[in-house]
Amino acid sequence: MSTLYVVLEVADAAYILPASEVRELETFAGATPVPAAAAFVAGVVHIRGRVVPVVDLRRRFGLPAVERTLETRVVVTEVGDRLVGLVADRARELVRPAAEITPPPRVIAEQTLGFVKGIVELDKRIYLLLDLDRIIGEEQDHGERDLHLDDGGPRRRALPR
Amino acid sequence: MADVLVVDDSNVMRDMIVACLRSLPNLAFTHATTGLEAIERLSLKKFDLVVLDLNMPDVGGIEVVEFVRAQDQLRALPIVIVTTRGDESSRTRALDAGADRFMTKPFTPDAIVAEVQALLASGRPTT
Amino acid sequence: MSDPVDLREFVSAFVTEAAEHLEVANSKLLLIESAARGGQPMLRHVRDVFRALHTIKGLAAMVGVESIVTISHRMEAILRTADQASTALSLDTIDALLEGTRAIEVRVKQLADGLPVGEPPASLVLRLDTLDAEPEAATRAITRATRLDPAIAQKLSAAEHEHLATASAAGQRAYRADFFPSPARAEQGFSINRVRERVSAIGELVKVLPLSVPATEHAPGGLAFVILVVTSALPAQLAAAVGIDADAVIALDAEVKPEVAAESDAVEDELIVNEPARRGIVRVDVSRLDEAMDRLSSLVVSRFRLSREAVRLAERGVDVRTLQTLLAEHSRQLRDLRAAILKVRMVPIAEVLDRVPMIVRSLRRSTGKSVRLEIDGGHTELDKAVAERLFPAIVHLVRNAVDHAIETPDERARRGKPEEGLVRVTCTEHSNARLVLSVSDDGRGIDRETVARRAEVEVPATDAELLDLLCRPGLSTRDEVSTVSGRGMGLDIIRRVAVEQLGGELAVSSVWRVGTTFTMTVPLTVSIVDAFTFECAGQRFVVPVAIVDEIVEVDEGVATRLAGSKGNVRVFFRRGESIPLLPLEEVLGLGVERVGARKAIVVRRAGEPIAFAVDRMLGQQEVVVRPLEDPLVQVPGITGATDLGDGQPTLVVDLVALGGVVRMVRGAAA
Repeated sequence: MSTLYVVLEVADAAYILPASEVRELETFAGATPVPAAAAFVAGVVHIRGRVVPVVDLRRRFGLPAVERTLETRVVVTEVGDRLVGLVADRARELVRPAAEITPPPRVIAEQTLGFVKGIVELDKRIYLLLDLDRIIGEEQDHGERDLHLDDGGPRRRALPR
Repeated sequence: MADVLVVDDSNVMRDMIVACLRSLPNLAFTHATTGLEAIERLSLKKFDLVVLDLNMPDVGGIEVVEFVRAQDQLRALPIVIVTTRGDESSRTRALDAGADRFMTKPFTPDAIVAEVQALLASGRPTT
Repeated sequence: MSDPVDLREFVSAFVTEAAEHLEVANSKLLLIESAARGGQPMLRHVRDVFRALHTIKGLAAMVGVESIVTISHRMEAILRTADQASTALSLDTIDALLEGTRAIEVRVKQLADGLPVGEPPASLVLRLDTLDAEPEAATRAITRATRLDPAIAQKLSAAEHEHLATASAAGQRAYRADFFPSPARAEQGFSINRVRERVSAIGELVKVLPLSVPATEHAPGGLAFVILVVTSALPAQLAAAVGIDADAVIALDAEVKPEVAAESDAVEDELIVNEPARRGIVRVDVSRLDEAMDRLSSLVVSRFRLSREAVRLAERGVDVRTLQTLLAEHSRQLRDLRAAILKVRMVPIAEVLDRVPMIVRSLRRSTGKSVRLEIDGGHTELDKAVAERLFPAIVHLVRNAVDHAIETPDERARRGKPEEGLVRVTCTEHSNARLVLSVSDDGRGIDRETVARRAEVEVPATDAELLDLLCRPGLSTRDEVSTVSGRGMGLDIIRRVAVEQLGGELAVSSVWRVGTTFTMTVPLTVSIVDAFTFECAGQRFVVPVAIVDEIVEVDEGVATRLAGSKGNVRVFFRRGESIPLLPLEEVLGLGVERVGARKAIVVRRAGEPIAFAVDRMLGQQEVVVRPLEDPLVQVPGITGATDLGDGQPTLVVDLVALGGVVRMVRGAAA
């Protein structure tokens, strides 16, 4: 049995993530910006009582911003203990590609900044498999790692009161 | 310095009693949370005065008074019992058994201070 | 003489202790009730209830709460009569007593909340008085078939004799063990209180009597305690608990049958393992723990400065490897310390669930339904603040289950179900510090079609959709739906508690005519802080009240702008102290600075004041702070987020920490 994928549309391209890594799809009503977080982090939203960061895929991919519409979706991904939302222009389909997903040609890998780790065709349409770890990864460009109050261990701070 | 044993299974009540008696100089307080512990402490160390609740598990205040008065070396130990409305018959029994004074809740800080002061000064051998 | 004592200062201590005594009274009354159904008198429990109420009465008198004195006095009178006459309490009497403990609970709560304490309910007083006038007369013959010294036997009450004599009927035996207190024994952990606790842990303590003995080396105080106990434990275990030789334990009844000796070691081990748990319990006001947490927070901030200095040293080419190792270790220690403090705030879930039988009991009476309650609480511990918020939700779910889901006995019989309905509350701890609590019933289940028809929507396809539907405020308050569909009111409220207040989830699964399960998944800890809300650059924020020194009006046109500062640092004078003023929007990189009259929030960092200009203050409220756990949004000065009711996260800013990192954030934002 082949795997089921969720389709995320951003600009003209269709990206996919394994359905097992997607917890739910939510409409996007805007996020609370977090000062000094990475530029591609749209902010935080509440999802089922948790405070979840939301990554704007357009910004992550270096694409021009668009107005959010009724179709805009937050794709809530679950990786280990982390819940991270991805903002896509649209996300409603599920696909089950029959063919094997292959690594992308180097040109495509470079063009997509390393965020795509696979490619597959289904019904004459190209789907790009996202590298979730890289997209929500910690390699950040805001240069503030040294500002965290902890070093090494789980980075959680005592709440001031 | 006079050693006072405060016996009550209620933490709050013991704290209240000690807070009231703090205004008297030269008193050292020891707490006992049960009648049994009171008897144990009294048998192992010499005290100058006991403030005793009547309502405790296993061995109540009356039994403590009875036991204390049956011991030669404790016969003269001053005992103040602390009672509540409804305890009238127990109070009578405790006084019959040899308690010296009684306080009925609610009492004022001044009232218990006066009783304790009087007992400590009453010339019972306390040294 | 020192200052006079005001006993009203003891009100909060009274509230805490009264709650404990009420819990004892309630649980013992429930035991008495279930025993009474089986025709057992349970006199020793009667005495425990009496003592609890007597203590409450005395304390209430001391702190001057007359209405609690009145109620407990009347309850006490009934219990005293029953105890002295060795009669069983009738179900009606027990019910009246439970009504009494509830009335006391209400008044203790009023006292705790600083509200005027209500008069005793006239109907209750009347009910208790009438009961008192007619004690049940059926005194029973008491069995006294034990081998006891007459001197000791005469000191036992009828109930105690009966307890000893009927031990074998319950598969147990009655023993006597004598304990001789001495300073040496006390040092080894054998004082009478500890011995009493240990013996109670392995059996039912019937009586402890002091006995004068000749003073010897063995008994330097000239004192022995005669301990009478009913237990299924072996003599050797009892001896270990008392700290004496096994052959000094005397059986008081005829031998029932030889016990299996192999169990002895295991139980003794258990005894030792359980030991530390029973030792030295300290009761602490939660605010003191919060204070410890505050101190820790300032430690974390200075720790941060330390590591920043280490980085500077490294930049200058100094070898800081040893320093880094020490700092990393220090960091770990701080985390451990924080965990240790949080642990003190934890209470066993059993403490919460202990109150559920009371509720089911009263529901049984009010609905006339026959319901069995099963509780599987496990040993999970959770933060007191979480427990307090969780409890009303559990009550709601249990009430709904009994009220609406469980069918009447007739209906159940027609459906081929046992007449007695079942409500089960289970609690397990999940990974990730989450508690999973479910309330299930074997009642009629939720009729999806009916619910959908009432809401005028399509039939929900999944359980999640069903829950959304049930949580519609408009739907769930309509009574006819609740009775027809088998689900009551207030689910939206439960979901709000679970999700908004506790950062958890609510789920449902239901099978028509078979039963329903509601499951709440909530974190074991939650932080709640008193916070100011304010607005800056169009965004709302909150700041913990505890770190705010004061809030002042400043006119930035008037405050002096500092020459040479890269940003817009200004300075103003207040009570002879110069205070640097930073526009918060600039510190946070939120955009252009506004000039004019604004509010400034003043905090202190290492004693030095620092002010942040904000647009306006919005108010003050308690907020539940959820940490920003994800590395993507862990940034200095932002400690978490809260929900002010609009569903959107509002960030919690730690202005003190921000004051420390301000220069670096600016560098990054530039």
